[in-house]
Amino acid sequence: MVDVIVAENLVKRYGDFEAVKGVSFRVRRGEVYGFLGPNGAGKTTTLGMLTTVIKPTSGDALVAGYSVSREPWKVRERIGVVFQEPTVDRELTAMENLLVHGLIHGLSRRDVERRARELLEFVGLEKFARMQVKRFSGGMVRRLEIARALINVPEVLFLDEPTTGLDPQSRAKVWDVIRALKREGVTVFLTTHYMDEAEKLCDRIAIIDRGVIVAEGSPEELKKMVGSDLVYIEFEGDPARLTARLSEYGEARLLRNNTLVLKVRDAPSLLPELLKAVEGVGVRVKSVRYSRPSLDDVFLHLTGRSLRDVEADWREALRMRIRARMR
Amino acid sequence: MALVEQVERVGKARWWLQAFLVMVYRQTIRFLRARSRMFNALVMPLVWFTFFGLGWSSTFDRLGPIAKTLFGGLNYLEYLAPGIVLMSAFVGGFASGLTLLFDREFGYLKELLVAPASRTATILGRMLGDSLAATLQAVIMLAVLAVAVGYTNPVALSIVVLLALVTAFMASAIGTTIALMMSSPEGFHGIVNLVIMPLIFLSGIFYPIKTLQQPLAILAVLDPLTHPVQLARWAMYNVVEEPVTLAITGTLAYTILFTTTAIAKYGRTYIA
Repeated sequence: MVDVIVAENLVKRYGDFEAVKGVSFRVRRGEVYGFLGPNGAGKTTTLGMLTTVIKPTSGDALVAGYSVSREPWKVRERIGVVFQEPTVDRELTAMENLLVHGLIHGLSRRDVERRARELLEFVGLEKFARMQVKRFSGGMVRRLEIARALINVPEVLFLDEPTTGLDPQSRAKVWDVIRALKREGVTVFLTTHYMDEAEKLCDRIAIIDRGVIVAEGSPEELKKMVGSDLVYIEFEGDPARLTARLSEYGEARLLRNNTLVLKVRDAPSLLPELLKAVEGVGVRVKSVRYSRPSLDDVFLHLTGRSLRDVEADWREALRMRIRARMR
Repeated sequence: MALVEQVERVGKARWWLQAFLVMVYRQTIRFLRARSRMFNALVMPLVWFTFFGLGWSSTFDRLGPIAKTLFGGLNYLEYLAPGIVLMSAFVGGFASGLTLLFDREFGYLKELLVAPASRTATILGRMLGDSLAATLQAVIMLAVLAVAVGYTNPVALSIVVLLALVTAFMASAIGTTIALMMSSPEGFHGIVNLVIMPLIFLSGIFYPIKTLQQPLAILAVLDPLTHPVQLARWAMYNVVEEPVTLAITGTLAYTILFTTTAIAKYGRTYIA
């Protein structure tokens, strides 16, 4: 079985509101798969359905080979979940949290103790094994939860917004853990509304907006959908001939400071050829750089809205709602 | 180190047992780490015994021997002592519901509900763990009161400890069921006053129930706490106001009834 998650037409309706409007996708064994989208796009609801926490209104998903709607218990044995809000036992120590989890998940005491020690080391918390979790920082709690979710050797690890609310240093540490997971061959499904997070961590990304997957692919593939990379060539010599020569490769435009901008489909693979082409026109190239479209450009391209703006709107709406409630 | 490895699950029966035991363990160590909870459950019964019991005791003493006939030949403090011990077990056990509400508040309930273990095992373990904690409170109370009224029969005292455990378990089942029907810990204190206080007063801890007028007399028999209280007083002083068989049946029937209710309710609890 290559696909650890096979979701088919998952729908979740709350009254009139359709939070998830029929999403289908597959996650392969060993890959890090990300759901990227603004808050309220349906990421957490989808993750809830995949982890058997939320019952799908229609559609189904196979997780580790079992149906989330018909065999939720089988699914629960084979997954690890880190929810958005912490679910640790704050009175217990880190080690006790792992032991309780492992025993409740049906592992033998010997296996639980061994894996608990290994995993605390893996997430860099071995020095805090005997500390009560209520004294942990937010980032430590998140790493502990990742370790805990891994105790029962899940076939897929679900991470709901793993770095939301963390300071930059803690974020970086959680990222390191996720990268290490990838090296170890753990399959990860994560949701995020941070573009940089999706781009840095995920092998493949589904961009989700208003309950629908609008695009899916590797970060590279997604960016190619926007079409163009921009190549900046700084040169000395005759601009006319250079422009004429490079126009064959894409739309060329001359900037004031002896720099030419070329819109191309895939800059890295085209660069050697471009440099060869320039040799024949008698200009001296001083520097070359290129920039790629960001995932925000992709989101903009697909939905006509910028992810950052959607985020800002959402925050504003939330603020209004909180204010309304306080009155 | 291998994060991805083959790990065997233990057998079904073993799994059930270890999920049950680990919850017993978790609830007891949480209790032992929260000193204030121990304090809370001891204070209320002790306050009643001291300020209510001692007060009335000296009043009744002025009536002379007539007073003793009211209380089956016991002086008022002796009459009060067995019930007060069970009261502390009952109040302590009922707090089990509060621990569940706080687990929901702090997210931990979600971790338990999404686990593949038998929910019957985890809720029973949780209730037993909380009951053991409440029994510990009752034992402390029993030690204090036994000294206060000068009681020494070890067999009777052991029976009272056992009754305290059963009472605590029954109360934890009631508390758990109520907690599962509630949305926030704040409302729970209101329930304590609405449910717990009448149950305690009607159980015959403070006054004889056989002289009660209708409909209070009926309500007293329907009160689940009445039966273990009668048994405790019977064990210690051979004073009992209903047939012992009824007291035993009532205690067991109510415990089983509320336990099954709690298990059913927990089994149907939604995660999200």
